Formats: sequence, C-alpha cells, structure tokens
Amino acid sequence: MIRLQRCADCGRAQYPPREVCGTCLSEMLHWDSADFLPGRVLARTVLHHSNEPAMRPHLPLTIGLVQFDAGPVAVCLLADTILPGHAVQVRLNADALLEAV
Amino acid sequence: MTTLSYDNVAVCCPVTEPYVRRSEHGAAWFLARTLRRLLDSSGIDKSAIDGLCVSSFTLHPDTAVGFTQYAGLSPRFLEWLPMGGACGIIALRRAARAVQAGDAGIVACIAGDTANETSFRDLVASFSSFSRDAVYPYGAGGPNASFALIADAYMRATGATREDFGKLAVAQRANAQRNPLALLRTPLTLDQYLAARPISEPLHLLDCVMPCAGADGFLVMPETRARALNLPFVQVLGAIERHNAFPNDPVQLRGGWAMDRDALWTQAGLGPHDVQLVQTYDDYAVISMMQLEGLGLCAPGEAPDFVRRHDFTIEGSLPHNTGGGQLSTGQAGAAGGYLGLVEAMRQLLGKAEGRQVANARHALVSGFGMINYDRGLCSSAGVLGRA
Repeated sequence: MIRLQRCADCGRAQYPPREVCGTCLSEMLHWDSADFLPGRVLARTVLHHSNEPAMRPHLPLTIGLVQFDAGPVAVCLLADTILPGHAVQVRLNADALLEAV
Repeated sequence: MTTLSYDNVAVCCPVTEPYVRRSEHGAAWFLARTLRRLLDSSGIDKSAIDGLCVSSFTLHPDTAVGFTQYAGLSPRFLEWLPMGGACGIIALRRAARAVQAGDAGIVACIAGDTANETSFRDLVASFSSFSRDAVYPYGAGGPNASFALIADAYMRATGATREDFGKLAVAQRANAQRNPLALLRTPLTLDQYLAARPISEPLHLLDCVMPCAGADGFLVMPETRARALNLPFVQVLGAIERHNAFPNDPVQLRGGWAMDRDALWTQAGLGPHDVQLVQTYDDYAVISMMQLEGLGLCAPGEAPDFVRRHDFTIEGSLPHNTGGGQLSTGQAGAAGGYLGLVEAMRQLLGKAEGRQVANARHALVSGFGMINYDRGLCSSAGVLGRA
C-alpha cells in the first residue's frame, strides 16, 4: 500500500507529508491508501554518483520526478525504460523505496 | 505600491578570503578573516562595525549570534541569512535598509564556509526536512540529482543542449584564467566539457561546481560616511527577492525573478540592456539560463538561443560571470551567494585588474538558493551602479 496525505477541509493532496495542510493550514489531515498511485513522469536522471557509500553498489540508478494524478510531485526510483511523459503507477516497496512499474 | 529607493547607501570594500579546496579551519575562521580584511581595506576600527549580516552552512551549530562573541563584535543590528545562493543580494537589501533607517552605521556583510572530507556529505544529507525524508533516500545524489531533474525538464521544454550549457562554462573558464582567485584556471574547450564523465545525466562533471572553502564580504554604510572615509563605493539602483515563487509549477522552469523583474528595472530606472555585465548564480548553467530569462535579458524559454547569439567573455557582447563564476572559482558554500556581488563591485570600482570590463557603469547581479525539496526556493537580484 502507498499512502498520500489529503486535507479534510480543502481536499488538496500534499507531498512530502507535513503536520498541517500547506494550502489552507488546516490540521485535519488524513491518509488516502491505495495499491499504487497513478502519475506522469516529468523528468528523469541517471545517477552515476552518490554521496552515500552504501548507495554506490546500486549505481547507475534512474530516478525521476513524478506528478501524481492527485497533484503532488515526488522523487521516485524509475525502471530504466521509463521516460518523461510516460504514465506510471507508483508503488511503495517493502524496503521503503518507491518504484514505478 | 512604490518601493523606497536605496538612495544614500554606499557599498564598499569587496574582499575575499581566498578559496581553497579543503581546509582544517572552521567556518568562523573564514568569516573572521574576512572581517579582518574588511577592516584592513577600509581603515575603520572594529568597534565602528555596529551592524552584521552573516551567512554560512558549516558554522552550524552556531549562527550569527555566536559569531559576535567569537569575533568580539557588539552590533546593534544582526542578520542571520540562511538563503544560500541568494544571500548576497539579500544581505545587501537588509544592510541598506538598516543604514537608511539609522539602525546601523556601518554593516559588515560576510558569507563563507569551510570544507573537509565529510562536510559536504553531512550538509547534503540533512539539508532540509523535505530533502532528508523525500529526496536523499532515493540515491543520495544531492544537488547534482535535483538539478539534473530540473535540467532534464528545461532541456525538453526549451530545446537547450549540452553545448549551450557548455558554452557558458567554457566562457567562464576563459574569464577565470584572468582571475588569480579562481581555483580552476586551466583552459577548457567545449570538446573537453562534452567529454566529461556523467554524474547525474544530463549533468556531467564540468556542469557541477567544486565544493571548497572560502569567504567573501563587503561593507554597507551611508554615502556621506563613505565619502568621509574616502572609500570608493557603488550604489544600489534596485534590488528584489522572492521566496517559494510559482509553487504550483510542477517542475521548476523559472525562479522568482519573473515575479519581480519589472519592479527591479523600474526601481533602477534602467532596462536589461543597459548593463555592461551580468553575474548570475551558476551552481549549474541551467539556472544561469533561467536567470537570463527571468530578469528580462531574453524571453522565457529563449535562453538557449540567447546563449548561442552572445559571447560571454570579458570582451564579449555580454560579459557574464567575469571572475569565472562558481563553476571555475569553486563554491565556498554560502560565499557562492556573494561571489557575483563582490565581482560586480570590483568591476564597477575599476578594480578587476586583468579582467576589467571596459566602461562598466551598471551591473546586474542575481542569486538563487536552497533546494528545499524539488526546486530552489530563494531568488534575488540587484542592479548596481558606479557612483
């Protein structure tokens, strides 16, 4: 399951999560849960360098900006074949990394 | 609503504590050495400094407050400006208003950082809450990855190419060869630029600034005071800042300059083509191109064509980042937000030595900072004039 924070007062979804709604400043926030979130890729990059030594064995790594259909934009790990403009489904993996398929 | 002018404000004494790749000194050492340079170059006593603006990332856990005790200052006006690449113009704005209002007589503006094996990674890993939680875990690419995503989107939207980014970088390297303070002075060709290894595609090694240690500073005081002290100065013709502009843009293709550009040029009584040199914040060339667009040197989306039509070297059609910019000088943390400002001051004061732009009367300086999550939040710009 993947969760997206939504404001009960104004209805806007937001990411990254916060303790109040970034639009109307309400604290009445709840979580929408789904198997995946549909979205569209805005941009991608192939990382060849990481600041974390533990990440380096996983390079090169493709990441992207994905705008969920619900509105917010997230940094996600992308499958290598996915390009900007593609429609994607964003899932949350068990290891807490997002992966688009 | 009309903004008050910056009349009777003098900006003097651009100084630099020379940049070095790495240092054993702390950030406070760099800031204090810069303060000392300001005193030496102005001839004023430390006790005359009653205003202070400080920017630094690696001064943590201290702030401007702790630095007053470290350096033995007792200011009656104190600003801590954690706005990264936008901090130079913002310090200038704060200091100028303090001087006009009489809240300070002489304001020292300083920014700098140290650099060692772990400082950059530590900074990137905990740069902001959003970044720590929602960016860093996805590969820990740091600013290179964030700006790579922006550059990718910008290239798709405008047709900008690596050659366009490279043209700016190569021109800046040519300018840096005439600046003894620049850390990277070996000649650079476009072919060498294009052949650099990929870091975070579409960005390659020579798109990325080199983190280093160093500091820059300047003084702000009333013109009457500067004249009495016989200090050459430049004037602030206009200055703007904006934070979190265009929050509903899904990806950053513009910064806050576009919101305030008209106010800037109106306040300055000049237009974008009335300046003899431009200093943009070049953490990456794509951001320089957004500044050229946002500040009206060309229309939105047309910076690639603008870059192809101009020569950005000292004797070129638009001298740009005349000291080499951060790409060739190095990025000394928050000092990167001062670099263009002190370089513009040197040009306008006729002190740019081997890289002087002929007849430099007006300069445009802009800043950009703080990738809090997916975009830089802070934009600033100023138009400076020779007194």
